[in-house]
Amino acid sequence: MLKRRIIPCLDIKNGRVVKGVHFAGLRDTGDPVEAARAYDGQGADEICLLDITATVEGRETFIDVVHRVADQIFTPLTVGGGVRREPDVRRLLAAGADKVAINSAAVANPLMIRQLADRYGSQCLVVAVDVRKMPGREGDPEPLYEVVIHGGTRSTGLDALSWCEQVAALGAGELLLTSMDKDGTRDGYDLWITREVAHRVPIPVIASGGVGSLEHIREGLAVDQGGADAALAASIFHFGLYTIAQAKHYLGEHGIPIRPHETPRGVTISTASLTS
Amino acid sequence: MPREVILVDANLGNLDSVEHALIQVGASVHISSDPDRVATARTVVFPGQGSFGPSTNAIIQGAMGDALRMVIERGDPFLGICLGMQLLFDSSEEGGGQPGLGVLPGQVKRFPADMPAGEMVGARMYKVPHVGWNDCQPTNEHFFFTHSYYVEAAAPEDVMWTCRYGRIEFPAAVNRGNVFGAQFHPQKSQWSGLRFLRSFILGGRG
Repeated sequence: MLKRRIIPCLDIKNGRVVKGVHFAGLRDTGDPVEAARAYDGQGADEICLLDITATVEGRETFIDVVHRVADQIFTPLTVGGGVRREPDVRRLLAAGADKVAINSAAVANPLMIRQLADRYGSQCLVVAVDVRKMPGREGDPEPLYEVVIHGGTRSTGLDALSWCEQVAALGAGELLLTSMDKDGTRDGYDLWITREVAHRVPIPVIASGGVGSLEHIREGLAVDQGGADAALAASIFHFGLYTIAQAKHYLGEHGIPIRPHETPRGVTISTASLTS
Repeated sequence: MPREVILVDANLGNLDSVEHALIQVGASVHISSDPDRVATARTVVFPGQGSFGPSTNAIIQGAMGDALRMVIERGDPFLGICLGMQLLFDSSEEGGGQPGLGVLPGQVKRFPADMPAGEMVGARMYKVPHVGWNDCQPTNEHFFFTHSYYVEAAAPEDVMWTCRYGRIEFPAAVNRGNVFGAQFHPQKSQWSGLRFLRSFILGGRG
C-alpha cells in the first residue's frame, strides 16, 4: 500500500542552510548538498528546499544549489520560496527539481496554477497554502481559517478551505498546508484544519508547521487525526533531536504505513561512477 | 566497458535525473531526439511524464514511434519509464482515447476517484494522482510513483511486478523478452531504483 512520506525541509539563504543542520558526520553543517545527501542516506522520502533569500542574486544562488543537490540525490526534490512567474518554475525544473512550490503568486493570480499545470504537468506543481485561525464569534458552527501570505504577514481575506478546494480544482498536484499559528511552536500541527483540508481536496496534502516531537508527526499522518499524506519537518531533524530512521521506526510501531529505512545494498552513490 | 544507452528525448519531461541515474549505475549515456539515432541504438531508455495527447500522438504516429518499434522488434533491450511504459500498450482512455505503440496488449486507465480509504463512514477517498512510495510484489521493495493513470495489461504474463492502490492492483513493472517497463520512477527511488536500473543495464533484465 501507499505509504505516508517524511519530508525534511531545508531553508536556504544565500546558498547556505539557515541555522545549519547539526547531526553526527557532517563536516559542513551549512552546506545544502551535504545536508540533502545526509537526509537522503537516512531514508527521507523526499527532500524540500526553501529559498528564503528573496533577492535577485539569491535566486541565482538558489538555482545553483538546486542543481548541485539534484545531482547528488535520487529522491524526489521539491523546491520553493519566492517563485513568482513561469520562468522561475521553468528554471527550477530545468535545474533538477521534480516539483516546484508556489504560494503568494498563486493567490495573486490563481490562473497561474492552471497554466503551470497545463504546461509542466500537475505532478510538477505543489501549491503551498499558509493559514491562520480567525478569532471565533458566537454561533460559528466551525472554526474559520483565512489564507495568509508573505510569511504570514499579510491577510488575504480568503477562506482557507475554499481556497484549498480552488487550488485543487485549478490543477495543483499536491497541497502543502502550513498553519502559521503553529509554525515554530514545536507544539504540533493544527490537526483540525489539516484534516478538514485533507478530506476536502482530492489531491495529496502535506502537513507543515509545528512539529516538536515524533508523536506530532504521527498525529499529523494518522487518518483519523491530521489525515495528511505527508509530513514536512525541519527543526526536529536539523538539530539532531531525532533521525529520520527513528521517526520511521516510531511511526511504524504506531500503525502509520511508512517505508522502512533501508540500508543500501548492491549500489553506492558517489560522485564517481558506480563501484559495487 | 560501460553499456551504451540511448536516452530518448521526445519532449516528455526533464531527462537530467534519468541520465544521472543511468550514469551512476555504470551506463554511458547519449541523449537523442533523432529517430535515426534511436532506431540504431543497442539499448534504449524511454522516459516520459505527462499525459497521452498531442505530444504522444506525434511520437506514436511519427518517425520516433517507428524508431522505437524498430529497436523493440530487433530484440535490443528497451526500458519505458512511467508514461514511457504506458505508451508500450495499445491505448489510453485519456483525452477521449489516444493510441500507444501497441507493443504489449492492454489499456491505460485513470484511477477511480471513488475508492474509500478505510471502512469508516465518511472516510475520505484515495487521492489521485497516486504519489509517493509504494511496495511492489513479489519483490517487496518500495519505489516512488507519481501517476494518475495505470495500465490494465491484457496478458498477465507481461506483468513482472504489481502494486496496489486502493482496490486497483496494477503493473508496477512489465517485461516481455527485451522490452521492459517501469510505472515508477527508478531515478527517484533511491537504492531500489538504482538497483533496478543497474539490473537493466547489466543484463537487460529488471
